[in-house]
Amino acid sequence: MAADTTATSASASNISVAEQLEQLSAARKLVLENSTYYDRIVKGVLPIIGPTAPLELRRWGAEFLAESLATPVLAMRDKENITVAVLDTLRALLDGAGEDAIVLKASVAAAASAYPVALRWIIHNSYHTESWEQMTAIKARILRIWDGAPAPVMLSCIKFAQRVVLAQTASNGMEQKYHGLDISLNLIPANHPLLDPRQLEAEATGLLDRMLGVLQDNSSDALLVDATLNCLSILSRTRPNTTYRILNAVLNFNPLKLANSPMTPKTRVFVKSLEKTTRVFLTHFLRRDPNNALSRRIQQYLEKLMRSRAEIFDDAGRKRALADQAAAGHGDAKRQKVEAAGVAHISIPPLGQGPHTLAGVFTLTNSLGLQAFDATQLPANLAAKISVRTLAGLDQQVLDFAIAGIRDRLTSLHAARAAAAAAAQPMVYNAATAPLGVEEEDDDYEPDLTPAEDTEQILNKLDNAPPEEPMEPTADSGVAMALGPFKLPPPPTLDPDAAAKLSQAAASRVFGPLSVLKEGSALRKPKAGINRLAASSYDRDSWLTLITRLATRSTASLDLDNSSSNGSIKPEDADTALDRSRGMSLGDTIREMLYTYILEDWRRRIEIAVAWLCEEWYNDQLTKRSGSGGQLHYEKWALRLVDGCLSYITAQDKVLTRFLAEIPELSRALLGKLKALCADPTTVQLALTSLLYLVMMRPPVREIALDTVAEIWTEYEDARPLAAKYLVKWRPGFIESQTRPPGDEAMSANNMAVTT
Amino acid sequence: MDTTNGSAGPLAPALAPAQDGQRENESGGFRLKLCTVCASNQNRSMEGHLRLAQANYPVISFGTGSLVRLPGPTVTQPNVYKFNETSYDSIYRELEAKDPRLYQANGLLNMLGRNRVIKWGPERWQDWQVGMPRVKHEKDQGSVGMEAGVPDVVITCEERCWDAVVDDLLSRGSPLNRPVHVINIDIKDNHRDALIAGGAMVDLADSLNKAALEERSKVGAVTFDAGGAASRASFDERVPEVLGEWQERWPDLPATWTLSWF
Repeated sequence: MAADTTATSASASNISVAEQLEQLSAARKLVLENSTYYDRIVKGVLPIIGPTAPLELRRWGAEFLAESLATPVLAMRDKENITVAVLDTLRALLDGAGEDAIVLKASVAAAASAYPVALRWIIHNSYHTESWEQMTAIKARILRIWDGAPAPVMLSCIKFAQRVVLAQTASNGMEQKYHGLDISLNLIPANHPLLDPRQLEAEATGLLDRMLGVLQDNSSDALLVDATLNCLSILSRTRPNTTYRILNAVLNFNPLKLANSPMTPKTRVFVKSLEKTTRVFLTHFLRRDPNNALSRRIQQYLEKLMRSRAEIFDDAGRKRALADQAAAGHGDAKRQKVEAAGVAHISIPPLGQGPHTLAGVFTLTNSLGLQAFDATQLPANLAAKISVRTLAGLDQQVLDFAIAGIRDRLTSLHAARAAAAAAAQPMVYNAATAPLGVEEEDDDYEPDLTPAEDTEQILNKLDNAPPEEPMEPTADSGVAMALGPFKLPPPPTLDPDAAAKLSQAAASRVFGPLSVLKEGSALRKPKAGINRLAASSYDRDSWLTLITRLATRSTASLDLDNSSSNGSIKPEDADTALDRSRGMSLGDTIREMLYTYILEDWRRRIEIAVAWLCEEWYNDQLTKRSGSGGQLHYEKWALRLVDGCLSYITAQDKVLTRFLAEIPELSRALLGKLKALCADPTTVQLALTSLLYLVMMRPPVREIALDTVAEIWTEYEDARPLAAKYLVKWRPGFIESQTRPPGDEAMSANNMAVTT
Repeated sequence: MDTTNGSAGPLAPALAPAQDGQRENESGGFRLKLCTVCASNQNRSMEGHLRLAQANYPVISFGTGSLVRLPGPTVTQPNVYKFNETSYDSIYRELEAKDPRLYQANGLLNMLGRNRVIKWGPERWQDWQVGMPRVKHEKDQGSVGMEAGVPDVVITCEERCWDAVVDDLLSRGSPLNRPVHVINIDIKDNHRDALIAGGAMVDLADSLNKAALEERSKVGAVTFDAGGAASRASFDERVPEVLGEWQERWPDLPATWTLSWF
C-alpha cells in the first residue's frame, strides 16, 4: 500500500520535494520492517530518483539503492532481481556530468554491491548480455572517475575496485558464504560465452596494483590508506594470488613517515591511525595464517613498528603507564570503592560466645563482604605481594593495636575454654554466578573465536570455577603453627679407617681429570726455561704439576709443626705420629697413586717421574734446612721407581739412561739397583751405557758410577768385557789392582780370559 | 519486560522523538548515526548511548567482551552474564536480591537502573549483524534514525575494544561496502570517568555532525579538481581534523581513529 502511494506520488509532479522525501522515508521504513516489499519499492522509486530529479531526491535515492543492494536480509535470488533492475538508473546517476559527491559516493557503493551479484547473474544467464554491458559500462565509468574524485567518492571507488578484484580472482574457499563475498573466478566456466576468466583475472591484477598504489607511494593520506588496508584483508586471506603482492606492499609501507613532520593535532591523529591500522591488519593476517612464508617478515616488521611507535609516542605512553601502575598497585579502582573507608580507625570487638574459626579470631574488619572473603582463593604469589605491601605501609601503632586485640581475644578464648573445633562453612556456593549456569557455555557461543577473546574466556571460566579448597580451620590456635628450632642431624663420628678411606677416595678423584685432559702442547712450544709457570693452562701437564706438588707440598701436617714452617712453601712431613696412626697421610696416598700412574706406562711417563722426583728432592732439601727432622721422601721413591721400571726393562729402553741422567740426586743404593740388570746378558749393555753416560756427563756422581761399574765387573762375569773396557778408560789400574792381590792364579785366569 | 522498565520506558522514548523532530528541523534533518562500544555494554558505552540519545543522535551500543562481567563481592567473584540473552532489568533484580547494600554502594544498581530504561539488554558486537533492520527496537533510546542498523561512526571506549572492532570488521570482509569511522576514546572503566567521557562523546558527535552537515549543505556540481580548501573538504576527510581538534579540548582522553568498512 505504501508502495502504491510512492508510485503514485512519483508520477504527480506537483508534490513538493519535502513531501516526496517524507513519503520515501515511509516507504523505506516499510521495507525495513518487511523485506518482501523490497522488490516493489526499489523498482517503484527508480523513476523518482533518476538523474533529472532534484538533488535531495537523487541523494536519497542513491543512498537507498546502496542500502538496499547491501542489505543482509535479502536472499541472493531476490538481490539478483533488484540488481538487474537498478543497473540502468545506477549507470545514469554515475554518468551525469558534474554529479554531486554524495550521490556519486552512494552510487559507487551501490555498484560495488551490485558487481558480484551481476557477475553471478551473468555466469548463470549468459543470454542476458544487456545487463553485463550495463555493468561493464558502470565499471568503466567508475574506474575513470576514480582518479581526481573527491575523497568520499574515491573511498567508494577503492571499495568498488576491491569487490571487482574479489570477484575476479581465484578463491581458496575460506571466505564467509554471504553477501556475495564467495563469488570468485572459480565460478566462471572456462567456456563461458561472455566472460573470459583469463581476461577478468588480468583486469583484477591491474586493479589490485592500482589499489596498492596508495601504499607504494607511501601516501600519508590516512583516509585513503586506512580505507585500502581495511578492505585488503579479505583479499589477502581468501584470494591466494593476491596475498604476496598485498603483504609485500604493506611491508614496504612506512606508516610512521609523517612522524618526522611537525605534529599538528591532525598529523598526530594520522600517524596513530596509520600505525594502528597497519598493525591490526598484519596481526589479523598473522593470526589467521601463522605459517605463511612471510610470517617472519611480518613479525620483524611489527616489532620494528612497536619500537618506533614507542619512541614517537613516548610521552603519551608514559603518562598512561603511570596511571596503570597506580591501578595495579592499589587494585581495580572500580572494585575498590566498597568499604574503602574505615580502615584507619580499627575497632576490635571481643569475640562473642560460641565456636570461632581461626580466621574469625584474626578477622578485624566489620565488613560482612570482606569477612566472607576467602583469602585462600588468592594465588600464593599475589597473597605474598599484598602482604609485603601492606606490612611495608602499615602504621606501627595500628599493628600494635591489632596484635594486642588479637592477643586479648585469644586469652579470653583460652579462659572460656570454649574449645572444640568449629567447623566453618566453606564458601563453596558462589551465589553470584551459579544460578546462571554460565559454565555450560562453551565455545560455540562464540561465532568467531579470536585469540583476543581467549584470555577473557579463560578469565571467565576461572571466575566460574568453584573456589579452591577452603582453609581447614584449626581449633587450637597458634600452637600447631609455631615452628621449633631446627637442627641438622650431627654427622656420624669419623673413625681413622673411614677417614683414610675417604681421603683415599678424595685423592683418587684428583687423578680423574688426567684421563680426559689433552696432552699439553708444551712439547711443541719453545721452553720458557726458568721463567715458565708451573701450571698456567688446563692441560695434562699442568694438572700433573698440580698433583706432584699436592703430593710433595701438601699441608696436611701443618697443625703439627706450625712454627717450623718457613714461608709459603710448607715442608712435607706427613708421616707424623697422627698420620701414622691413621695409616697413610694424604701426601703418601697421592704418591702411591702417582707411582702407580707412572708405572702403568712408565716408558712414556718417565718425564713425570723426573718432575716428581725433582719436587721430592726440593722438599727434602727444605726439610733438611728447616731442621724439623721431618721425613725425607726422595730416596725412598726414587728407589721404588727404579725397582718398578727395572722389572720390565728391555735392551731397547734407552729411557733409563735419560732417567738416571735427569733425576736430581743419585745414590750408591740407587745405582746398585742397576747391577741386577747385568744378570741378564741382553740388558748388560744398557746398564753399563747408562753408567758410562753418568760418568761422562755427571762428574759429581762419576765416582759412584765408576764404583758401580767396578762392582759389576767384580760380580758379573758376563759383564766383564764391557765393564773392563770402561774401567780401563776411566779408572786406569783398577783391573790390575783387582787382579793382582788375589794372586797369580786369578791373574792367569784373567789373562786366559783375555787371550781366549 | 517487567513493571519497572515498563513504567520508566515510555517516558524517555516519548521524549526523544519530540526533541528529535524539533532538532531535525533546525539542523536540516541530518544526524550522524552513532554506535558506542565498550567491554560489557554496561558502563562506558551505555553512558555514551544515553548522552548521545539525549542529544538526539541515532545511537546503538555494544560490548566486545565474551561475557558481561560486573564486579562482585570480591575481585575473583564477578557477576557474569550472557550477552543478548540477559536484560538489564533481570540483572538489576538479581543483584538487588543478592546484596542490595553492596551493589547500591558500588553504584551497580544505579547504573543498571539507568541502563534498563535505555534499552533491553547488553548486546555483543561480534554477534551483531550489521545492516539488519532494527525496527523492533522502537523503545530503545536513540533508536529513531537507526532503523537501517548501520552507523556512520563507531566510538569505542578502550583500545582493546577498538582493536576488537577493527579486527572483527576485517574478519567480516566488508560485505556492505559502506565506510565507517571507528574512533577510540580511552576511558577508564569507572562511573566518574564514564560520566566525563559521556560529555566528551557528545562534544565529538556535535563536531563531527557539524562537518557532515556542512558537506550536505554544499549543493551543486562536484568540481573534481577542487579539494583544496578545508571548507570544501568532505566529511570523511575532515574526521581526523575534527578529532585532532577535539583531542586538544580533551587531552585526557587519548583517541585513535581509522576508516574501516562494514
